[in-house]
Amino acid sequence: MYQWKAWHDSRARITLYILAALGSGILFGLNVISDANMHTYWAVLYAATRRPFLNYDFCMDLPFWMLDWVVRDCGQIAALLAGLSLGACSVGGEYGAGTMHFVLTRPDARRNLVLTDWKVGLPAMVIIVGGLAFPLLPFLALVHAKGPGNILAGLPALWVLGAAVYGLSYFTTLAAGSAAKGLTLSVAVLLTFSFFPTALNEWWHSDTLLRATEWTLRALKNNAWPLTSFEWGATAFWLAVAAGFLGASLAWIRQREV
Amino acid sequence: MNDLAIHTEGLVKSFGKTCAVAGLNLKVPRGAVYGFLGRNGAGKTTTVKTLLGLLRPSAGFAEVLGYDIRGDLLAILECTGFVPENKTLFGSLTPAQIVHFNQGYFPKWSNELVARYADLFEIPMQTPFSKLSLGNKTKVCHLLALCQGADLLILDEPSIGLDPVITDLLLRVLVEDHVSEGKTVFLSSHQLAEVERIADWVGIIDKGKILLETRLEDVRQNYRLIRAAGDAAPAISSADLIAVQSSENFRSYLVTREAEDFAAMLRAKGMTILEILPVRLEEVFLGLARKEVPCISGKPGMIPAHA
Repeated sequence: MYQWKAWHDSRARITLYILAALGSGILFGLNVISDANMHTYWAVLYAATRRPFLNYDFCMDLPFWMLDWVVRDCGQIAALLAGLSLGACSVGGEYGAGTMHFVLTRPDARRNLVLTDWKVGLPAMVIIVGGLAFPLLPFLALVHAKGPGNILAGLPALWVLGAAVYGLSYFTTLAAGSAAKGLTLSVAVLLTFSFFPTALNEWWHSDTLLRATEWTLRALKNNAWPLTSFEWGATAFWLAVAAGFLGASLAWIRQREV
Repeated sequence: MNDLAIHTEGLVKSFGKTCAVAGLNLKVPRGAVYGFLGRNGAGKTTTVKTLLGLLRPSAGFAEVLGYDIRGDLLAILECTGFVPENKTLFGSLTPAQIVHFNQGYFPKWSNELVARYADLFEIPMQTPFSKLSLGNKTKVCHLLALCQGADLLILDEPSIGLDPVITDLLLRVLVEDHVSEGKTVFLSSHQLAEVERIADWVGIIDKGKILLETRLEDVRQNYRLIRAAGDAAPAISSADLIAVQSSENFRSYLVTREAEDFAAMLRAKGMTILEILPVRLEEVFLGLARKEVPCISGKPGMIPAHA
């Protein structure tokens, strides 16, 4: 029953996010076509002037690089935002509305509350991130760039990153007892993850943590075209982080007082 | 199956250094209406939340309908209807949708009762909960608790926002539809008149401890307020004496039984008995729970005899 309620509460928000992602994807795609035409023009021009270093194939790769940038960089932002907001809004919504006591006095195992939130939130995040990438595929075909499978190869890394951020945001909200506090804590954790290893390296000349962090981010850097090596290890790491937060949330909800 | 719907022994709930429930001993008989009374911050809501697993006990033992609150929480929640102090449900859903959400959790759920009580309490079932008045929100909370086929109803401040007509209806429904079928009602309230009207038992709690637990019939038949005058206040020690109040001209003694014997003892100590009066629940409650501060005249108010 809680699944019905969770979907009822979040469907409008999720639909809006998906539409925003699809709209962004289409806009990027249109931009890529425009760029592709320009690069074709320059390629022909440079070929006519016998400049071999800018051949036609090279120029037609450029749209793909742009698509790759859209998926990897914009996709990371989409995954971060979707993960943060969906994670905080689910359980945070119950805290904010003062309905947690009502939910927790229904005769149902508390773990089902967490599992249901994840069942609704994670697919939404997957669809939102995919919504940014999939509209690019037809444009990719239009500009005759590299195969669309290469673009899709970047998605799993984005999804596991989004899942990990969703887990972080969900757990901090559950533990802190409010969406605002949970979001603040999550952003603090992400900032620490981003900057602390660099600071450690700069100030104390210890690069161990920095190298470890860079290794985890290889999942995002190397999992797109050219698909020379899929970063299974780093991708699995983010998946493990997401699973860890799910486990922590399940353990926390058992003891949670309201 | 024991005869108690709620049974606690030495129940403790602490928040850091603050002890909200301090060794609570509670015995609520099955099939009774039990009025759970106390001042603000006495520990009523904390007790209720602990019984329903929303708070974890720090120490002690508690059973609800024979189920241990530490191990059998789901069984307790399935058999217990709960109306919380904070009458908040899902704001975006209508009462009809909240009923749809809720009924899936309870095997004994009755849609016939939903139709009956929605009509009786005049609940607008298609209006979003967030747009309902406080009274209608309270009604929806009661509707959910009454229709789930619960063996025990725990109602925390049940009449908040209700007009006198609906309050009257609710009290009648509780007694005629539920208590008459052997179900138990645990009523945590400040509305002493409502409690006095339907309760069989009362428990008065202060600072997390039970000050008094008795049948209301016992209060009516045996409890007496003795007003006595005298030059000096004698030292009185009696198990029957639960509170003493001093004023400029006389002292009032609240005794639980054998008022005539107690009056005779006062006379023997040189006091003059002015009157012996039956007491209402409110006087017992005030006698036990009133804070020991000087009243307007500068004299102390009612002082619990055991203080």
